[in-house]
Amino acid sequence: MRKTLAITLILALFLALVSMPLSADGHERWDGSDELDVNPLECMGAEMMDDDGDMDEDMEMMEYDGGMAAMGDMDMAGMEIVVVDVPKLIGIGYFAATTLGQQQAAEELGNVSVSTDGPTDANIDDQIQIIDSYITQGVDGILFAANDPVAIAPVLRKALEAGIHVVGYDANSEPDAREWFVNQAEFNGIGKALIDSLVSQKGEDASFGIVTSTFTTPNQARWVSEMWAYADKCFPDLDWLETLEAQEDAGLSFQQAQTLINKYGEDLDGIIALTSVATPASADAVNQADVCEDVAVTGLGLPNAMRPYISSGCVQEVYLWNPVDLGYAAVYILRAVIDGEFQPGDTSVMAGRLGELMVVNGSEVLLGPPFAFTAENVDDFDF
Amino acid sequence: MQETRTDPRNPTVHDKLRRLLISQEGVLFLIMLVSVLFLATRTDKFLTVDNLLQQGRFMAEVGLIAIPMTYIIITGGIDLSVGSILGLTAIVLGWTWQELGFPLELAIITGITSGTIAGFVNGLFIVRVGVPPLIMTLATLALYRGLAEGISEARSARGYPEWFFQLGQGELLGIPTQLWLLIIAVIIFAIVLARTRLGRALYAIGNNETGARFSGLTVNRHLLFIYTFSGFMSAVAGYIFVSRVSTTRSDMGTGIELDVIAAVVLGGTSIFGGTGSIPGAIIGVVLIQLLKNGLVLTGVTSDATIVVIGSVLIFAILVNNFIQSRRNEGD
Repeated sequence: MRKTLAITLILALFLALVSMPLSADGHERWDGSDELDVNPLECMGAEMMDDDGDMDEDMEMMEYDGGMAAMGDMDMAGMEIVVVDVPKLIGIGYFAATTLGQQQAAEELGNVSVSTDGPTDANIDDQIQIIDSYITQGVDGILFAANDPVAIAPVLRKALEAGIHVVGYDANSEPDAREWFVNQAEFNGIGKALIDSLVSQKGEDASFGIVTSTFTTPNQARWVSEMWAYADKCFPDLDWLETLEAQEDAGLSFQQAQTLINKYGEDLDGIIALTSVATPASADAVNQADVCEDVAVTGLGLPNAMRPYISSGCVQEVYLWNPVDLGYAAVYILRAVIDGEFQPGDTSVMAGRLGELMVVNGSEVLLGPPFAFTAENVDDFDF
Repeated sequence: MQETRTDPRNPTVHDKLRRLLISQEGVLFLIMLVSVLFLATRTDKFLTVDNLLQQGRFMAEVGLIAIPMTYIIITGGIDLSVGSILGLTAIVLGWTWQELGFPLELAIITGITSGTIAGFVNGLFIVRVGVPPLIMTLATLALYRGLAEGISEARSARGYPEWFFQLGQGELLGIPTQLWLLIIAVIIFAIVLARTRLGRALYAIGNNETGARFSGLTVNRHLLFIYTFSGFMSAVAGYIFVSRVSTTRSDMGTGIELDVIAAVVLGGTSIFGGTGSIPGAIIGVVLIQLLKNGLVLTGVTSDATIVVIGSVLIFAILVNNFIQSRRNEGD
């Protein structure tokens, strides 16, 4: 009996010794990343050399996988159109900003009238019923930000069948249920922006921790993977310390940021926070510990929540996309579709002041790189 | 003519009609008629067969849950957990099918069974432990929703086969499938409430529970039954919901309990128990749904729509109270 035990122990030790260098040899995968494929962008500075607009030259162009609106009785090109916008919910700053962008675009174009109507809480059933009512009412175009990609699909297909043009933004549906989707930021774009932000503040050998929602939350897991892949490719000397889970809870996020500060002390150069709750909480923790100079906080954040920390200089910049531009682009794209200027197979579309926007993933239009909120511009936003 | 009218045991057709018109349901029906006519004059998109059938599809879930809710409120109770049971059913259905690999038929049965059990648990605690229904179902409102979120881990189950959508998206003889189900359920359970011993027992419990107990009614068994029934109907509604929107999410049915209670109370069921009817509740469901849809069609935005619906609710209840008190004085 003892013999077996001893042998097992030795075997286990041996196995551990053998496998240890193996795992240390391969690049350590960051906690909280998922198993999906990653697609890191060009390193900081490198993309400048290839600035002729087609960054994905080497990548195969995906076939258009969006839907088609049924042909109407008449050509609406250049005509007055009535468009309804159905966001996830109304009454919050974020979608008030997309609405503002839509109104700006409508005003510039002059031949579009957009009204926004949506559920008062992010309820998919209410959203379906509202869209259905507008189909019955008979609008020319529908803009949407889906509360659920699958559940919203049948009612959007019904709109397409009725000859109504459908463009999504912010939150996608199944591709064939709408014509185009304005993608506010790709995962690899966010991953690159956050790592670049850290490196530009603390150097290529900075040590940092991540505060995420949970390891299984799809968006956050994707961002961690893309950050890891991008850092692996461009800044291999970066020292990732730990990823901590904090749900989307302000109190817990604060504690987790504090944990990083206390546990690593001098070694900690930066915190990357991946939820709009965790970023201000981390900034608050850094601020209270009085280590604003030593620890750089960056991440995804909303201007209103981040304003005190950005204004006081404790945080240099946080990233998100500009929701005003997002709504603005959606209206321009819908207009271009109806005018026949933007068709399946096209690789770009002109969107007013935003210039030329690229088509990605078959039927998505990329808004552009993530938008940095800094001390210069943070007061211009209210969401 | 004069003689027959004074004889209450032998009312004329004219009298019957008059009684029907000033009953709770009659007044509400008139309010609904006026609203519909008003909306129809404002837009020609509202009063079309297609639109009305589509609204029938949307209100099936609320309508189905309104039936047991009427029973429960008549006994002086309430069930706040129906929305969470709906969500739990949806998640169990999707999870057993996608994660555990159950055949879809079995997953549907498992889902509905767990919803029914959830209702049974409500009833058991209310009857055996004596927890007030408001407290018990408020607790399970949170508990069942938490279970749904825990089981699903915020993931949704999708990709059901085509036949699964028949109930939620298909039609039978030109009428949405779930509307048939609602119509049949309403007829059966309206008769059960109005014409059977079970129905009379519920009114008796609502009017005076202690009295009902002493007159030999098995009060506990009746209460246990209606809360279980509520779980079952919420579960069926959950199945229909999944079939209609073709995916499962753990936040399905959030807030539906308030829609249901609003419709039932609008339909003349007293929140203190003892009075109420299924036709009234269904008119309540239809009225709210048509207002929601009609107002959007006439160009009112949905935040203003909620305000209008709230006002109509208060108005209808005031008118009804006024007429009923006049009627009682007249008697």
